[in-house]
Amino acid sequence: MSKQKQKLNPATNLVAGLVHKIDLIVASILIIGGAFMYYEATLFPAAPNILGDTLNADIFPKMLIVLMIILACIIPFEIRFMPEKIAKIDKDRSVSLEPITWKTIVLLITLVSVAEFLGPMVTMFVTAACFPLVWGEKNYVRIAIYSVAFPLFVYFVFNKLLGLFFDPGVLQYLVKPTN
Amino acid sequence: MEAILKGLGLLLEWQNILLIFGGVFIGVLVGALPGLSSPMAIALLMPFTISLDPVASIAMMAALYCAGTFGGSITAILINAPGAPPAVATAFDGYPMARNGEPGRALGLAAVASVFGGIFSLIIFIAATPLLAEIALSFGPVEYFGLSIFALSMLASMSGKSSIRNLIAGCIGVLISTVGVHLATGVERFDFGVSELTEGIHFVPVLIGLFAMSELLTQSSTLQDAVRVMSAKSLKLPTFAELKKLKNLILRSSGLGTFIGILPAEGSTVAAMMGYNEAKRWSKTPEKFGTGHDEGIVGPEAANNAAAGGAMVPTLALGIPGSGTTALILAALVMHGFRPGPYLITETPELVYAIFGAMLIANFAFLGIGLAGARFFSLVTFIPKRFLWPSVFIFSLIGSYAYSSAFFDVWVMLISGIVGFFMMRHGFSPAPLVMGLILGPLVEETFTQAMVIHDSSFFQFFESGVFLVFMVLTVISLSSPFWPKIFKKKK
Repeated sequence: MSKQKQKLNPATNLVAGLVHKIDLIVASILIIGGAFMYYEATLFPAAPNILGDTLNADIFPKMLIVLMIILACIIPFEIRFMPEKIAKIDKDRSVSLEPITWKTIVLLITLVSVAEFLGPMVTMFVTAACFPLVWGEKNYVRIAIYSVAFPLFVYFVFNKLLGLFFDPGVLQYLVKPTN
Repeated sequence: MEAILKGLGLLLEWQNILLIFGGVFIGVLVGALPGLSSPMAIALLMPFTISLDPVASIAMMAALYCAGTFGGSITAILINAPGAPPAVATAFDGYPMARNGEPGRALGLAAVASVFGGIFSLIIFIAATPLLAEIALSFGPVEYFGLSIFALSMLASMSGKSSIRNLIAGCIGVLISTVGVHLATGVERFDFGVSELTEGIHFVPVLIGLFAMSELLTQSSTLQDAVRVMSAKSLKLPTFAELKKLKNLILRSSGLGTFIGILPAEGSTVAAMMGYNEAKRWSKTPEKFGTGHDEGIVGPEAANNAAAGGAMVPTLALGIPGSGTTALILAALVMHGFRPGPYLITETPELVYAIFGAMLIANFAFLGIGLAGARFFSLVTFIPKRFLWPSVFIFSLIGSYAYSSAFFDVWVMLISGIVGFFMMRHGFSPAPLVMGLILGPLVEETFTQAMVIHDSSFFQFFESGVFLVFMVLTVISLSSPFWPKIFKKKK
């Protein structure tokens, strides 16, 4: 059996022949997250007596979290009663994330981090220039045209036509306001 | 009658007609572009419609919804890459027909079947919505709580990879909706000291993140995929004789699609698959399916477009979305200050008729746009991903920022996108999360009211016959994924 085929066979992902290895991790994350949220909910102040017990702000989220944890506990065992469906999920996640996806995540976080300082307009120019470059576009003329034309189009449509306010961001230091 | 005239009159203003045609064009375009979908387009469009007339905005989104369902078929037929999940079944016979040298005919059959399916479901929509709303008007908080629980339970059978994961995603969605100040007590919940969170998490950035950003990350690993496009200069409409032969199939598929669309949480994808299967089951030539058979295109196309109209019925009459996309339309209604549910038709009936009119216009418009622009829409698939997806990111960035002019929402959008991407990898669909997020406030509000009315005794809820019916339906719905196994064992 090839390595790829072994990976797609859900049986190879079983721990002690009982639970799905990756789903056990997924369920653990959900349970830990749920437990943390439940703990947070216990810290909510109680409602004034006049409103009664049922109006306490924590009741509904707590019910929801308990339900979510119960459902999460089933996830590792899903392979026992739905092996075909889990095989499909395994097929998707068996392919490890490509470096370009990680690079894209880093790029997105960087762009959003600087967006407040740069302002939406400059962020659009930077995005339009950086994104195709990171994604391997080699035609620099095309990138140059796109990185100027597309943000200007967006600005025209949303600022001039729809009246959306664009925070000037870094532009306020560069462009002197005209009286 | 006055409301009908008022609603249709609103649509006849030239700006609104323009917006509807704009919605149809965007719908067909995003439907035709693999990876882009109508829910994504609606999510991206939503913040920009704040400044527009509310009725026109909703009408535009409804038109986009209709057209997007058809747009997905263009790429399904021409490149065997369905632009949207409901078009998957269309590819089974559409692509082989295109390969057999008849791409125009395949598109023509798909367009005509879609129009028939759409109009059929709109007739049901306009007849059933007021009736259902009238029934729902007699519902109290207990009955509404039962209904919303039933709607959430339907997430189990929603098209996705795992029922359990769908339900968990729904729970997460409802949980996100609880962030912020609890209206009944004024208690701040899950704000973790972040002042922006006291207002709650706005659903628009979450929707943009889940639908656009997570797809962008998925697409980042398929940049090298080659696309083989069939050239289709124009649609070739089926002849009258061909249509006469297919009329029973179109009617059956339209009825099936409308019924499936009306069921909460069941969307066009399920309708299309069932439309295909039923077309094959009733066919005199089932062996031809998969080789480019007319019936293999008409069945799923009539069903998936009919489901779009059907899904609007519970959305507008009950405030319970019939699919992921209608959940977004519901969100848009809330954003524009409307009150989805039975009061929508009593308080603003003109809106319901305007939506009906917009969807009717959209059905004819996409036939026209498809006729005139089949070649253009088949060419848009040539837009390089390296420029297409950065543009989607720019729209997402500006869209989430525009919603409340706050960069905090841009972060919400990004985090939702990244988390959504990893959730999708592990079999969690974004649609149940969105439905949970939209239904969350309704569930909590009706639960709290019902508990107050019944003196904190949950068991008193069962004194209501309607609640009991909804609970029985909930049990049936939750157990539905196990039926095939049970029946198989018995056989």
